[in-house]
Amino acid sequence: MQDNLLVQQSARVNIYALISRLLMNEVDEKLLELILKDENILSFFPNFIKWDKRKGISNKDLIERYLNVDYTNLFLLHLIPYESFYTREDQMMETGGDNPIQVIYNEFDFRVELDEARVMSGDHIGVELEFMYKLCEAEQKALEDAEYEIAADIAHIEYKFLKDHILEWAPMFLLNVKSEAGSALYYDVADLALEFIMSDFEYLSELKNKDYKYKALEGME
Amino acid sequence: MDIKDLNDLRSDFEELSKREADAACIDGCVSDEESREDYPDYMAAIYDEIMPPAKSGIYFSRWDLKAMAAEIDESFALDVRERMFKKFMQWVGTPEDMQLLIGQFKANIDMKTDIYKQYSAKYPSTKEIFDVKIRKAESSKRYLDKVYTEFFT
Repeated sequence: MQDNLLVQQSARVNIYALISRLLMNEVDEKLLELILKDENILSFFPNFIKWDKRKGISNKDLIERYLNVDYTNLFLLHLIPYESFYTREDQMMETGGDNPIQVIYNEFDFRVELDEARVMSGDHIGVELEFMYKLCEAEQKALEDAEYEIAADIAHIEYKFLKDHILEWAPMFLLNVKSEAGSALYYDVADLALEFIMSDFEYLSELKNKDYKYKALEGME
Repeated sequence: MDIKDLNDLRSDFEELSKREADAACIDGCVSDEESREDYPDYMAAIYDEIMPPAKSGIYFSRWDLKAMAAEIDESFALDVRERMFKKFMQWVGTPEDMQLLIGQFKANIDMKTDIYKQYSAKYPSTKEIFDVKIRKAESSKRYLDKVYTEFFT
């Protein structure tokens, strides 16, 4: 049981890491190579695999001519990847310390280097998904140490953060990323992020319904 | 039972109904058309009541506005979202234009709520979240009709 649970948890950690990185900043050559050389990761991007523009072009050119242009259009120019825009009735972004997301991050000692991340506030989609990644990583550590109560507490925080924040707005944003993407990569990234956050919420909801008893989830209790 | 008793009973009932309605509204109550503010013109009404995703459950992006305008043979450059919205609204010259414009908003809303419904069916735990957005979106469609009646008839 423990092995299956850890494998699943490891997958959650890795997928949150991947989508938060892809949605936070432009792709660089190192990340693109990582995606292209790993069949498991590449399988998350079915349209990108067969995308014509990939053929006969170096990764560097692919990034500079298509992927970075598309990222800039989607995440910096035309769409708004910040939660507060979607949740405030005045359609304004909350970039100050009063941002409710920042309050949550402070509670969990999650530090966001806005300059380094090149985002305007902590409620950027990439940062929120990175927060989930950090939570899942902490949950994994607790599971490895057989600290199930701690793991359950963290899983509940994940459930609440997905329900009250990410799922409240990210689908609206990601649907538009999908429909406005000019490259197969960002179409697939949006689709992967959408499907993953919802399927992860299914998993966490099931875990919650079983009072976060991991063994019950696997039919061992 | 006299009139006073009846009035007290009615008052108690109304208070109870209000409490129940308030309780049902916790976390995502949809304000219906009647509860929306009054506006001096249709542009302000739609911008304040339909354009915010928090109110309509729908994100109308710049490209959405451009695509909606293109459907009715109008074209404008990509610009700040609010300016694009104003240009789109300023295109309206007649009640028929407004009907076309409202039709585009409704089509965009329907397209997105259909996707919400698909996701709710595929991931049942998300239904509660998407249902709130769908209710807001349906209320927004009715509000668009109200705006038409109020400002164009």
